[in-house]
Amino acid sequence: MTSPAIRTLLDAIREANSDLLLEIEAVLPAIRPHGEAVMLDWISACRTLHDFDREAGKAFTRFSRDAEKISETVLPWTRQALQIMRWRHSWPAIEGFMRNLPRAFGSLGHAGEERWAAIGLAWCARSIDSGCAYFATPVLELSGRGGGIAAIEQLNAPAEELFETRKLQLSTYLPGAIRVRNLLGAQAVLPWAMRGADIMQSGRTRGEAYFRLESEESLALLLENMQGYKLADRNRLLGILLEVWFGEGMELKEGNWSPEKGRPFMEMDGQSMYFPAVMGNREEAILSVLHAAGHMRYGTFDRAAMKQMFAQARLDFPEEGPVSWAPLFMRFGEDAMRFQLIFDMCEDLRIESRLQKEVPNYLQRLINNARATLARHPESAEYYDLAVATAEDALHALRGQPVLDARFAPLYQPGATLADAYRIAGEIFAENSLPRVTDGEAFAAAFLPGRGPNTTRVAHPQDNPDEDSQSQPGAQEENQPDEQGEDENESQQESETGEEQEGGEQQETAGTGDTSGSARRAENRPDGQQTGRGPADKGVPYPEWDYRESRYKKNWSWVQEKRLGESNTTETNRLLKQYSSALKRLKKAIQSQKPTRMSPKVKQLDGDEIDLNAVVEYVSEKIAGRSPSPTIYRRREMRQREISVILLADMSTSIMQHLPEGGGRLVDRIRAGVLLFAEGMEEVGDNYAIAGFCSKYRDNVSYYNIKDFDEAYSQDVRSQIGGMSGRLATRMGAAIRHATKHFDRVESRRRLLLLLSDGRPEDYDDGGDRRYLHEDTRMAVKEAVAKGVHPFCITVDTMANQYLPQIFGAGHYLVLDNINSLPNKLPEIYLKLRR
Amino acid sequence: MKTAPARQRGVEHDIVQIPLAGETAPYYEPQGNEVAVFEAAYKRRLPVMLKGPTGCGKTRFLEHMAFMLKRPLVTVSCHEDLTSSDLVGRFLLEGAETVWQDGPLTRAVKAGAICYLDEIVEARTDSTVVIHSLTDHRRKLTIEKKGQEIDAHEDFMLVISYNPGYQTVLKDLKPSTKQRFIGLNFDFPTEEIERKILVSEVPGLSHENAHQLVAAGRKARLLKDHGLEEATSTRALVYAGSMIVAGLDPVAACQVAMVNPITDDPELAEALMEIVNAHFAV
Repeated sequence: MTSPAIRTLLDAIREANSDLLLEIEAVLPAIRPHGEAVMLDWISACRTLHDFDREAGKAFTRFSRDAEKISETVLPWTRQALQIMRWRHSWPAIEGFMRNLPRAFGSLGHAGEERWAAIGLAWCARSIDSGCAYFATPVLELSGRGGGIAAIEQLNAPAEELFETRKLQLSTYLPGAIRVRNLLGAQAVLPWAMRGADIMQSGRTRGEAYFRLESEESLALLLENMQGYKLADRNRLLGILLEVWFGEGMELKEGNWSPEKGRPFMEMDGQSMYFPAVMGNREEAILSVLHAAGHMRYGTFDRAAMKQMFAQARLDFPEEGPVSWAPLFMRFGEDAMRFQLIFDMCEDLRIESRLQKEVPNYLQRLINNARATLARHPESAEYYDLAVATAEDALHALRGQPVLDARFAPLYQPGATLADAYRIAGEIFAENSLPRVTDGEAFAAAFLPGRGPNTTRVAHPQDNPDEDSQSQPGAQEENQPDEQGEDENESQQESETGEEQEGGEQQETAGTGDTSGSARRAENRPDGQQTGRGPADKGVPYPEWDYRESRYKKNWSWVQEKRLGESNTTETNRLLKQYSSALKRLKKAIQSQKPTRMSPKVKQLDGDEIDLNAVVEYVSEKIAGRSPSPTIYRRREMRQREISVILLADMSTSIMQHLPEGGGRLVDRIRAGVLLFAEGMEEVGDNYAIAGFCSKYRDNVSYYNIKDFDEAYSQDVRSQIGGMSGRLATRMGAAIRHATKHFDRVESRRRLLLLLSDGRPEDYDDGGDRRYLHEDTRMAVKEAVAKGVHPFCITVDTMANQYLPQIFGAGHYLVLDNINSLPNKLPEIYLKLRR
Repeated sequence: MKTAPARQRGVEHDIVQIPLAGETAPYYEPQGNEVAVFEAAYKRRLPVMLKGPTGCGKTRFLEHMAFMLKRPLVTVSCHEDLTSSDLVGRFLLEGAETVWQDGPLTRAVKAGAICYLDEIVEARTDSTVVIHSLTDHRRKLTIEKKGQEIDAHEDFMLVISYNPGYQTVLKDLKPSTKQRFIGLNFDFPTEEIERKILVSEVPGLSHENAHQLVAAGRKARLLKDHGLEEATSTRALVYAGSMIVAGLDPVAACQVAMVNPITDDPELAEALMEIVNAHFAV
């Protein structure tokens, strides 16, 4: 039974728009129980909204059924929807409102829904874009899991204030705020928003990027506040652990994981491993790193095995270049995740069986940790439990005990390969015994802590993964340009001297980014290139060792001694301030080591010489019949001024790099280190010089004399240290020879050449043959030793263990793997060396 | 010279002691041909230089050899303030007169002992020079202060040790000193030998624990390039084993014997503990 009023209304709608009528009639039975008056109001609302905007009307009508079903009312929300119509262009808000309505009633209750709508209306009043953004956001996202209306209010409050004070749109704020709340908890939103407000003040674009969690600073803030184990901070520890269990050659880098990507995993591509910034806990992080290294070491990226696997899958395997794993999974279509989980589990079991032999108790740790983790995703819990059970089986198998699940047994054998894992995974997949997984979160939750998807990155197949760490030079030797290549280089040099020089100069300037605003001593800049190349400008020639011919090339490398062009007093003062407490400690330590008395100690119980005065006294007392104490010796404790030292710093471009752990650049640490060294040396009183070097081609090695032996440690020297910066390359041998020659001017029995470096010797004209300059540097070191100079190298290159032992000899170098410790360590090392 | 039937503890005795019949030799597990080399050097009375890292068994080797050769062993641990008078001897005043007192080196030269100058590079250079005349064909010790020379006893032998670590770059022995010696290189023993050493040195240590300790020790030595001045020594492993036998939990024993003493760097300590945990904690 339909009243005439309604019929008239429906007829009118039919004439205007028959589509809408169909939709209305579909929903009408649901509205009917509420009575004629309500029906009338509702139908006219449909019409009004439709007239206002077709989409809005249709959305209203369509979602009404669910709204009525959950709320068991009609008029309250009808009125709310009509209110939104007040603003122009508000149809997305109406659509969003209607779409969210059932959820709003369901999760917030009637009162909550009313508040939710009121907040939205208020936003529409402020700005319709914000209103649309508000209503478009699913209610469950707004309230968080079970947060209710209170959570929405909490989320909303900072936004209102930010809009009032900074006109920040809700659409900019909301997605970020929700993520921050989900990741860090409700209490984190307000501080995050306040920080954003400050950033907003300094610039709108920067502030908006911050709120959208797109800027570095907001990500950094997020990561900083994330719960869990921060791998980026523990880079050194993880590196050490890898070296302990797997030897050298494992490359660990920070990956591109960010919090919203879900569960963090280690990734690997056959060449490097990539760690996420944060992981659940320490145990998971360490298990993960070892696990990933296991994949790298035990053939997950072995070319032959990959090829075999692709052949099994009847897929083409590219002969060269990186390989994508995707085709392997694509053929499983919608069920790809299920196969991938099984495949990963098989491959992980294979890897861990091998890993267990290298890292004792790895499997026990994995299992214990997996058991302690209680959270399971309902969709993938079966995988998790199977993973635990099979890991236990692997352990049984290694102990020679019977296994429970024979399907996986071949994987526990040491000879198993990736292809076996793939084959077995295929067999298990075909059994269809494991549930289908479609949800990404469920997929991620299927992995035991420490494991993860193995195929997230494009693979770089390795030809012999077990030996890749040793394949450093060697192979390149054969195809190196020999003498002819050198000649070519040389003639090229001669012809384009002028340009080259200028180019080099440009690069130098470019490398000194932060000297602006400081006193630049341009008058001291090297100007050799303007006057052409007389012998004096060419500098001092040194021979260079060519290992390929086992002979010296005469007058091969040319060293030009210069003063450093830049100085930076501001930087020096900043560093002195920053390290003032370290400096104080250092000076104190030196003072306590230093004998306070320059004269010999007299009246000692024993000593090197007789203390004549004491003897006379002793004898006279004796004769006088007393019994004096026999303290009649003198002991000499002279201040040792017999040592002189040159601190020679590598000033190649690479020192300008930013530190991986943040907090500035390597050059900052080098400046600080040199500065502390100099201050310390003043305290010690040893004769010292400070120099830096860089090179571009064999005939252009610059040796910057920052402080000479007899030069006073003046403010000027200090400022020059503050102005040290990186430019060009590292022809170490020539620099060592020049420094060795420098020692000729001083007379001291012990001579120490302290080399501060960050990488291997290299230059533009070494033709990629690392060995050439290595060998030359090795010879330069030998020459220095023969001249009574002790070279000692301090490096921050963690790969230095691969080449420094050959160049400097065991015990004559030190690798500082913690760059931040350089400033403090440098003087300490010296003090230790001179002891 | 005292000839007490059995050595008593807590009682002074002379530094020159001939090994007594009935005593058991100090335990030493040969790692290579060092015993043969030493015996040959002793036959010709050539001075010997023992090189190797701290705690790898240099001193124990010498104790063992001295016992086997039935020679007294006089050990002098050298330090920065050690002067030649500390080695050779000095005049002391006693009542109204001066009395010459032989230093340990002189005592050894006279008694035909093996004189062991431990960590010789630590001593001042003047003390390394006094040994020159003892180390070549002259085999003489000059006592400058007395204006005398002593021809060494025919059984006298000089042994020095030094540890080529980076601390000593500037304190290296002079080549002229070095080349007077037969050089014996020591390093940490192989896995198997190290296990044997542990089991014999620590009675009651289970084979499994010995195995774990040795494996952990080898891994810990890999950290040497990361800022450890001294690698985990066999001695540290023996200590850890002793602590285990004394009832301490293995992980705690390793921490106090192998980790805490060698580093103050928290990160290195953590890495070392990671190694220990991997081997012991399940």
